[in-house]
Amino acid sequence: MGRLLNGAALPLALGLGLLALVPALTRAGELDLSVDLRAVSSNATDTRLEGALGKPRYDSGQDGLRLGYLRLGYRGDLSPTLHFTLEAVGYGDHDVNPIDLTELYLEWRPIPSSAWRSRLKLGAFYPEISLENRMRGWRSPYTLSYSAINTWVGEELRTIGAEYSLDWLGLAHGHGFEFSTSAAAFGWNDTAGTVIATRGWGLNDRQSTLFGRFANVGGPLGSRTLFYDDLDKRAGYTLGASLRYRGLLELRGLHYNNRANLADGSDRIQDYTWDTYFDSLGARWTPSEQLTVIGQWLHGRTYFDTTAPINAWSYQSRFLLASWLQQRWRYSVRVDEFDLQQTSCNFCSVATGIGFWFGDDGHALTLAVQRSLSEHWNLALEGLTVTSTTPMRNFLGIDTSQRERQLQLSLRYDR
Amino acid sequence: MNNRCAALLACVTACTVLALPRTAAAGGTLAVSISGAAGEPIAGAVVIAEPLQPVARTHSAQKAVAVMDQHNLMFVPDVLVVMTGTAVDFPNSDQVRHQVYSFSPAKKFELALYAGRAHAPIVFDKPGLVTLGCNIHDNMLGYIWVTDSPWFARTAADGRLQLHELPPGDYTVHIWHALLNETGAQLEQRISIADNQSGTASFRLSRPLRAPTHNHGADGKWADY
Repeated sequence: MGRLLNGAALPLALGLGLLALVPALTRAGELDLSVDLRAVSSNATDTRLEGALGKPRYDSGQDGLRLGYLRLGYRGDLSPTLHFTLEAVGYGDHDVNPIDLTELYLEWRPIPSSAWRSRLKLGAFYPEISLENRMRGWRSPYTLSYSAINTWVGEELRTIGAEYSLDWLGLAHGHGFEFSTSAAAFGWNDTAGTVIATRGWGLNDRQSTLFGRFANVGGPLGSRTLFYDDLDKRAGYTLGASLRYRGLLELRGLHYNNRANLADGSDRIQDYTWDTYFDSLGARWTPSEQLTVIGQWLHGRTYFDTTAPINAWSYQSRFLLASWLQQRWRYSVRVDEFDLQQTSCNFCSVATGIGFWFGDDGHALTLAVQRSLSEHWNLALEGLTVTSTTPMRNFLGIDTSQRERQLQLSLRYDR
Repeated sequence: MNNRCAALLACVTACTVLALPRTAAAGGTLAVSISGAAGEPIAGAVVIAEPLQPVARTHSAQKAVAVMDQHNLMFVPDVLVVMTGTAVDFPNSDQVRHQVYSFSPAKKFELALYAGRAHAPIVFDKPGLVTLGCNIHDNMLGYIWVTDSPWFARTAADGRLQLHELPPGDYTVHIWHALLNETGAQLEQRISIADNQSGTASFRLSRPLRAPTHNHGADGKWADY
């Protein structure tokens, strides 16, 4: 019963939160809608979403027309300084709910009366880590597929909790610099680490939803990993800082630690705690109206199980993206490198039927061309090549080394 | 971008027109040129001529409502110059809402989150530089220069401008630019204007301007993440 209540607590809290927002929804707010239709050609192995280990979003069995996403966003205010944001998305890929939430939070954002400003977020939101996901709905204006780092953030690192930020608005005070610091405490975080440890890195734009699922390796979608579960009643935290120079350069750093108690996994629901932490550094350089360059690096560890030797993984990834905006055209190229190494294992023996340690080592090249057709319509063509060696593919009986290619043509409408 | 340029041009023109004689009244003309550290013309610089003694103003006080628009997550124009006492309207031409504020000593104000034309114009009743921000979009930055003098304008693309109808007397000519990277005496000059005579003032900056910021295609689909 307690476990059931625990599982229902999050949906219940969010449901009540939504209910409380209904009166405000009738006031003037910003409602926006996006539809993204894709024509896809891929030679990739079965996708990670469907219980396999394909790196791109689509596999070779999904060639043809696909729904990239259907998205609904709403921003409203409960008072002049108290705003709320709701983001809902549907991917048409048989997740638990056809439309589900990706973000839902309140933000207190007082109007500055000096160069210092406090902000407070409460709810489900992304930590301030990505420098490429700049569009509403945490989408990227540069490429269809996100970098490996931010694909992982979208898959299992959304935080549910409270974040306090302190900004120094130097620009409005006659200086060249601005900086922000933030600290967040969050719950429902104990499964974070499952995806990176058992699937390795991916490159896609499919953000997990608050009540959605992510198939276990070898299992169908809907059968497995419950995201945003809390098993240990212990809050995790993030500490972040950013520095901006006149809108030309932005540096960001974030430390994440879910502080999971490894002893609190649940065999009954096959949900387990993963003690996960990482550091990320990123820079975005925008020297001209046309050019944007983004680089990001992330390194971390995750641990699982309490039986010695405790299973441990070390992972890191980095990418460099350059994007050139020429009137209605945008050209982007991104290079990703990633690796994952299991550094300790208590199940990797022939006796258990697993004669290898987990790992993932590879790189990716993404080329994208976009054309803004009008204020509301956008056309994008993207080619993605991912080369990787992933021992977990032994589970699926396929070669551990794969070169996967995916071509996507996207027609997007935003209103 | 085209809209921004058009609006900027309209403002530069408007600001210049405000400084032009409304009649063929007597008065001197001041020609100003500003060049950068490498000799390049400095466009968009604010030039204000302040009389050092009481003068008989041939200009009528500026009463028209000035406009500081918001378009594609930018203030348009980026810099607006108005006389003290001028009302400034802040329409929002974006599809997203803005929350305009300033905590500059010359004018502290805030406009609650709005779209379209939801607020009455704000009267700027104290001279000085007012820096504008948007509490929702921290990258938005704009300026309003409020001056007691009716003789002001912004330099054209060739770094030059002319102020007309200046009564005879002594003036301090100040220059300012949003990307200025220096302070000091080189930013102002004292000049004398004789009746029906022309004066000139040339400025040369000692340091390059700061690099301009861009919005890189940002529009209402972008958000602060």
